[in-house]
Amino acid sequence: MEIEKIYEKLEKKVDQAAVKLSRSRITQIRFSNNMIDISNEWNEELASVFLAKNGRTFIFDLKSEKDLEKIVPRSLAAMENIEKNSDFISLNDKKNVYRKKRIKNEKLREVDSQEFVSGFVDELKPFVKRLGGVFYKKEIVEAIKTPFNSGSEEQFGVEFVSRVFNDHDYPVQISFTSSSDDDLPALMKRGNEALGLSRRVKNIKDGREGKFNVIFSPLCFASLVSYTAPMASAFQIDSGMSMFADRMGERIGSSLFTLYDDPTDDSMLNSKTFDDEGTSTRKTPVIEKGIVKNFLHNFSTAKKYSVETTGNAGIISPSPWQISVEPGSEDVDDMIASTKKGLFINNTWYTRFQDYREGILSTVPRDGIFYVENGEITESWGGIRISDSLLHMYKNIEGISRETEKVKWWDETMHTKSPYVAVADVNISRSK
Amino acid sequence: MEELVDKALDYASKRSKFAEVRFASSTRNVVLTKNGTISATGYSVDSGLAIRVLDNSVAFSSINIPEWNRVRDEIDRALMMAKKHGRNRFSNENPVKDSWQVDQIKRIEDVSFEERVSQLKGIDNLLIDEKISMRILALNDNVEEEYNVNSEGLSLRSKLPKISFFAMIGFMENGNFEQGTVELGYSGGYEALGEWKLDKRVKHESDVLKSAARAKKLKDGVYDLVAGPEISGIVAHESCGHPTESDRILGREMAQAGESFIKKNDKGKRVGSDVVNLVDDPTLEHSFGFYRYDRDGVKSRKRYLYKNGLINEFLSNRESAGRLDVKSNGASRSSEWDKEPLVRMSTTYIEPNDHTYEELIEDVKDGIYMKSFTEWNIDDIRFNEKYVGREAYHIQNGELKETIKRPVIETTTINFYSSIDAIGKDLEFSAGSCGKGDPMQGVDVWMGGPHIRLRNLNVR
Repeated sequence: MEIEKIYEKLEKKVDQAAVKLSRSRITQIRFSNNMIDISNEWNEELASVFLAKNGRTFIFDLKSEKDLEKIVPRSLAAMENIEKNSDFISLNDKKNVYRKKRIKNEKLREVDSQEFVSGFVDELKPFVKRLGGVFYKKEIVEAIKTPFNSGSEEQFGVEFVSRVFNDHDYPVQISFTSSSDDDLPALMKRGNEALGLSRRVKNIKDGREGKFNVIFSPLCFASLVSYTAPMASAFQIDSGMSMFADRMGERIGSSLFTLYDDPTDDSMLNSKTFDDEGTSTRKTPVIEKGIVKNFLHNFSTAKKYSVETTGNAGIISPSPWQISVEPGSEDVDDMIASTKKGLFINNTWYTRFQDYREGILSTVPRDGIFYVENGEITESWGGIRISDSLLHMYKNIEGISRETEKVKWWDETMHTKSPYVAVADVNISRSK
Repeated sequence: MEELVDKALDYASKRSKFAEVRFASSTRNVVLTKNGTISATGYSVDSGLAIRVLDNSVAFSSINIPEWNRVRDEIDRALMMAKKHGRNRFSNENPVKDSWQVDQIKRIEDVSFEERVSQLKGIDNLLIDEKISMRILALNDNVEEEYNVNSEGLSLRSKLPKISFFAMIGFMENGNFEQGTVELGYSGGYEALGEWKLDKRVKHESDVLKSAARAKKLKDGVYDLVAGPEISGIVAHESCGHPTESDRILGREMAQAGESFIKKNDKGKRVGSDVVNLVDDPTLEHSFGFYRYDRDGVKSRKRYLYKNGLINEFLSNRESAGRLDVKSNGASRSSEWDKEPLVRMSTTYIEPNDHTYEELIEDVKDGIYMKSFTEWNIDDIRFNEKYVGREAYHIQNGELKETIKRPVIETTTINFYSSIDAIGKDLEFSAGSCGKGDPMQGVDVWMGGPHIRLRNLNVR
């Protein structure tokens, strides 16, 4: 499909049209219990189209140009008879200039997905009971065309996750994502990291209830902020289903805590130069030193809130691109060493909210829950749950490491760069 | 398109031990409102070829560019990937030639966007009258058509229309907030709207939230519990359906959704009291997870996962059944045409028994009636779980008393099922999207059951 041809067939029929064309080639290797289960490959084209006419809006996806002949008349007919979308004001009507991406990925491109996975399994299996995981190689070319802006960009990168079970069948997990050759050595050291984490496992026990000081790993903290950043979308704020609603300018976290949406970090896979309506993207502090600083906007929501767009369209609903948590000044080993009684939690999943307004949730830690006493890991736990609120935990942040990791895991964790984060008095519950 | 599919199959079959080519198209319509504003109206047409080959390992490839040269390139890449050593055994199944579809009374194709919008606006106006200030409503439909062939002689054609409704609503009063959802799904046409009685359901849900916002917590303690069909359903899904998925048991999801507390030799082990029977049944007419043949071309059937409190049967597809050296019981599904088929649930429920609702309640001295839930989760072996009540009442001396705010049950799978002492004769289902796989595949499911009674559960 060609974006110009699609746009030409639309532009005279509506007031405004935006076309985003994506071409992707994605390779994935899934493995479990030391063996490859399946090699997947996706090779697809997708055009996402937004139309506005007389205040009414319509969206459609297109996977074949020839379907346009059928879809366009149907869309226009539908638009005649529906109500106006009062949330939509306009696509960004100013000419935007896009930064040039800093790309350095020739060596990363040369990594053979199947060979990497086989090599990783062979490296670790003499030392552990079993391991599994997934390796992704993603290459996406995206173009945008609106009445006011046009551009194209490439995204390329790898994602890797492995879950490693030791001789007692206790799992730990590592995660990695990058778009840069600079991180290739870190990818090649993931085996050591997994073994190092696995060797810290000792004295496996059922966890205990209570209030604990918790050090969250980058993977685990990334999971929490991956549920937080989307709630800063102006759409979510408008709906009322957000802990950010009515809290602009309020303190919701410790002064150590700064959270960005940062599509400008080109060493990460989801870096972007333009959004879905052609606005150039930027680094946006959502929470700055604990204070709610910005919501995430497209052009229309920004007008409604009398601010500048943050370049986060979604024309219907703005959304974050990739998250960055400001690192601190502490050394992670010192953070653990200075813990008198507390937990180091490596991962979590199944986060669910009973109250979006207050951020009240529970989430199930996994893949390395370590009890720390007098600075030493003395036990490895299972069967616990964090039953707390994001607002309470963010306010109780007491330390942040200078080390950061770039992680992405399944649907639980967005592309995130996060440090280790220490939080006081986290409520831990368990089954009775 | 069928010509391209047959050509692709012929090409792949000659170069692998097993090949499968599926052409599928999906036409979706969506209407979304947010606090009364029409946020999104739109639709999508999605189609393409999914190719699966088996040699030294399994490879899956998808392409939505219907040009032979590009398709052949994709097959070549899949064949090359399948040369790599890995798992490569499918169960032996008889190939069928058949076609099937779900009939519609009010056809999706005949419903205008205006009518879809009008339905949602009607619901939204009702909620405004009920002073529900936070309202996200969605009405979706999808028609999926498929032509599936493999090198063993399988040839299947199908057409499956579906309708779904979703509401997320929130109520705030004096700083007290409550949130709730209504999720409904149906295989068939827009006659679903008449059956759903949306006005009544949404009005009830808004009453529940208002009542909960004014309610107080109950003192922590040990209580008997009467759980409604929505609770029966989520428990059946999370702590029976998922742990009996054979790919989980074999570890294939170990780095994503996890494994299972059930091991492959655990059939016959006790997980609950002997009144507990749990079923997964894709053949229920108009259920949201309905299918006549699964993605592997295996005929669907009802399966007893737990029977008389014992582990009875695992859900399987050809891949996992092959590893366990059994026949597949037809649980292979994928959420979209371009995703690999995995072991999935369809409609999972606790089988009804002999008690009326009144009989369940009247025999409780001090307990809780939890009719629906808000927050819930479970660990990655499906053993430690939590359910927070949305609509819940105190039961004293066999009578419903005051509304209770968000009672919390945090228990284990075995403790939950072992505490059941009586099961109702009613049966209700709710819809959901079940997440699994990497990339995430949300498949349409129903989950449900009757009212059930449990003795002596810790509640806080």
